[in-house]
Amino acid sequence: MKIEILFSEVCNQFGDPQNAEYLKQSCPSDTFVYTALDEEPCFASSRPDMVIMGSMSESIQRKVILKLLPLKKRIEDLIDDGVVFLMTGNAADVFCRKIDYVTEKITVDAVGLFDIDVKTDWFKRVNSKVIGDADGNTVTGFRSQFAEYSGDNSEFCFLKVERGFGFRPGHMYEGMRKKNFIATQLLGPILPLNPDFCKYLIDIAGGNGSPAHYELAKEAFDKRVAEFRDPSTEF
Amino acid sequence: MSFRFLFAMAAAKLSRAVIRLFGRDGSCTPGIIAIRLCPDFLRHLKMPDKVICITGTNGKTTTSNLVAGIVRDLGYTVTNNSLGSNVQGGVATALLADSTLTGKPKKQVAVLEVDERSSLLVYKYITPDFLVCNNIMRDSLKRNAHTDFIAYILGSALSEKTHVILNADDFICSSLFPKCLSRTYFGISADRPDSDRISSRDIVYCPDCGTRLHAEYVRFDHIGRIYCPGCLKKSPEPDYCVTEIDASRDVFKIRHGGEEREYKLVNSNIVNLYNFCGAVAVLTEAGFDPDKVCAAFNAQKIVKSRYDFIEAGKLSITTQLAKGQNPVACARAFSYIASLPKKNKCVLVMTDDKHDNTNNSESVCWIYDTDFSALRDDSISEIIFAGKRCRDQRLRAVIAGVDPRKIRINDDLFEGAKMIDTDKYSDIYVLHDPYILSETGMIKNYLIERGKANED
Ligand SMILES: [Zn+2]
Repeated sequence: MKIEILFSEVCNQFGDPQNAEYLKQSCPSDTFVYTALDEEPCFASSRPDMVIMGSMSESIQRKVILKLLPLKKRIEDLIDDGVVFLMTGNAADVFCRKIDYVTEKITVDAVGLFDIDVKTDWFKRVNSKVIGDADGNTVTGFRSQFAEYSGDNSEFCFLKVERGFGFRPGHMYEGMRKKNFIATQLLGPILPLNPDFCKYLIDIAGGNGSPAHYELAKEAFDKRVAEFRDPSTEF
Repeated sequence: MSFRFLFAMAAAKLSRAVIRLFGRDGSCTPGIIAIRLCPDFLRHLKMPDKVICITGTNGKTTTSNLVAGIVRDLGYTVTNNSLGSNVQGGVATALLADSTLTGKPKKQVAVLEVDERSSLLVYKYITPDFLVCNNIMRDSLKRNAHTDFIAYILGSALSEKTHVILNADDFICSSLFPKCLSRTYFGISADRPDSDRISSRDIVYCPDCGTRLHAEYVRFDHIGRIYCPGCLKKSPEPDYCVTEIDASRDVFKIRHGGEEREYKLVNSNIVNLYNFCGAVAVLTEAGFDPDKVCAAFNAQKIVKSRYDFIEAGKLSITTQLAKGQNPVACARAFSYIASLPKKNKCVLVMTDDKHDNTNNSESVCWIYDTDFSALRDDSISEIIFAGKRCRDQRLRAVIAGVDPRKIRINDDLFEGAKMIDTDKYSDIYVLHDPYILSETGMIKNYLIERGKANED
C-alpha cells in the first residue's frame, strides 16, 4: 500500500498526526509519503491507496484550499477509482463549497466536492463527542471546532449518530462520504481511538496490515464506548 | 463616577466579606458580581502607580508569583491575583479587594496574571504599563484552539502605549503587538543546543513572506533562534540574556546592558529559566534597582504546589505540576523528569481533567497532541498512569515507543499511588494536574509515611 500524508508540517493540530503514526505502526511494510505544503502532492501524478490530512489553523486552511483547488478533477477521478481519503477535523471543510471566515471577514470558495457551506467564527468554539455507526463499525470521537456547517448530508454522511450530534445539536448525520472519501469533523486520533474502524479502513484501501497494539487500543475503546453509552454521561 | 459603579463596588465588597467569612479566599465571585452589575467596572477603577500584567501559555503563575514576591520584598504594597483566578472576574476581584469604596487603589503596584483568552475583556479597560508574554504555545485545544487564534486575541486587545516584554526565543511571541513601540526582549544564550531542526508544529513558514523558516538552533518546539531566508526576518536579540547556567553551583547569570548578575537557580527546568529572566527584565524596566531585584530574587521560592522535593527516609519524592489538556506543559514535564541525573525512577502520572471526567468522558485528543517520547528514557523504570483515562494514556505512550512492560494503570488516583513499590524505587515523581492539589497532597503524605516506615 502507498499512503500519502498531506502537509503534515502544518496540518497537525489536535492530535491528528497520530492517525498516520498509528497507521505506520499498523502497516509497517507499507510505503508512507509525506508531502509538504511547498511540494506537489504525489497523488497528482500517481495513484496512492490512501490519502490523509489533519486539522490546521484557518490561515493554513486557505493556503491548502489554494493548493488543492486545481487538483479537484484529479481528486474526483481518484475517488471514482476507490482511493481512500481520510480528512479529519477542519480538513473536512476544505472539500465543502465555501467557507465564510466570520471573524476575519473573508469568504473563500473551497474545493467543492460537497454542497455544504461552512461558517468559521473564532468566538464560537464547539466541543463535543460523538458515537455513531460507519458502515457497521461503531466509531467514537471528539470534536473541537469553530466551524458551523449548513446543508443536507443525510444522503452522504460518514456516521449515523447514536449519541452526540452531526452538523448541529439534534442533527444526527456526521461528516461526509463519497465512496471511500471520508471527511469527518471528528479529530485525528480517530484511528487509535477506534482500532476496528482502523482495520476496516486498511481493508477497503486494499492493505493487509492490522491495528497496532490492538489489545491495548481495544481496551481503551471498550471503556470509552461504555462511558459514551452510559445514560449518566453528559453529551 | 457613576452610581452603577458605586453600587457594584459596594455589592462586590459585601459579597467578598461574606465569602471570606466562610474561608474561601480564592473565589472570583466578587469580581463576577461587580462586572454583572456594572459591565465596564474595570474602566472605573483607578489603577495603582505601576501595573504589570503577565500572560503567555506557560509560566504565567510562576512569573507572576515571582514578580509580586520580589516587589513586596523591595518594600512596596502589591495587588496580585495569584490566590484567585486569572480571568476577568479574578482580575476584578483582586483589584476591588485592594480599592476603596470609590475605586481608589490602596496598593502601590499591581502584578496581574491574565489568561490569554481574557485579554479582550481585560485590556479593553486596563492599559498595563508593562506586559510580559512568556511564550505562545499549544494549550487546551478545547479552549485555546491554536496559536494563530491566541496571537489574534492578544494582538487585538492591547493598547500600543504598553511597554511589552517578550520572549526573544519564541518566534510567535516576539512578533506580537507590532504597534507597541516600547519593546524589550529576553532570552537564553547559555547551553546552546546542537539541534537546528525546527520541531515546531506551529510555525514552519514565515508569517510575512511564506518562505520555510530555518534555525540557528532549537531548544524545543519553536523555542530557539529562528530566521527566514526569504525576507531575513529573524529572532530579535535579547536585551536580557541568560548567559550561563551552572547547575553544580545552583546559579545562573543574566546579562543586561553590559552588566552581568548572578542569580540563585531554584529549578533548572529550561522553561523556568525563561520565566526567571522575564521577571528580572520587567522589574528592571519598571525602574526597580537591579541589584536589589537580584538580592530579592535570591530570597524567593517556587510555590510548593507547582514543584516540591521531599526526602522521607530513603525515598526522594518530587511533585511537579503537569497541566492536563496542555500538550507542551506535559511534554516538558516528561522531558524534565527524564533529564534528571538519577536512575531507576518511578513516575506516577495524574493528568486527567477532574471536571471533564465527572459524569462525562474527557476528550483524549490532547493526549495524542502531547509528546510522550521522553518517557522512553532508560532512567525511567516504571510509569503508573492513574485516573479514568489511564487506558488512553497507556496506548498513547506505547504508540510513542514506551515499552508496555514498564506501564501499569489504575482508574483511581490513590490506588495508583499505592501501586508504587517503595521497596524497589527510591526516586518517585508525581506529575499532577493543577485541579487535584488536595489529592496530590494526600498522595504526597502517603509516600512520606511510606518513606518513614521503610526507614524504621
Ligand atoms: Zn520571511
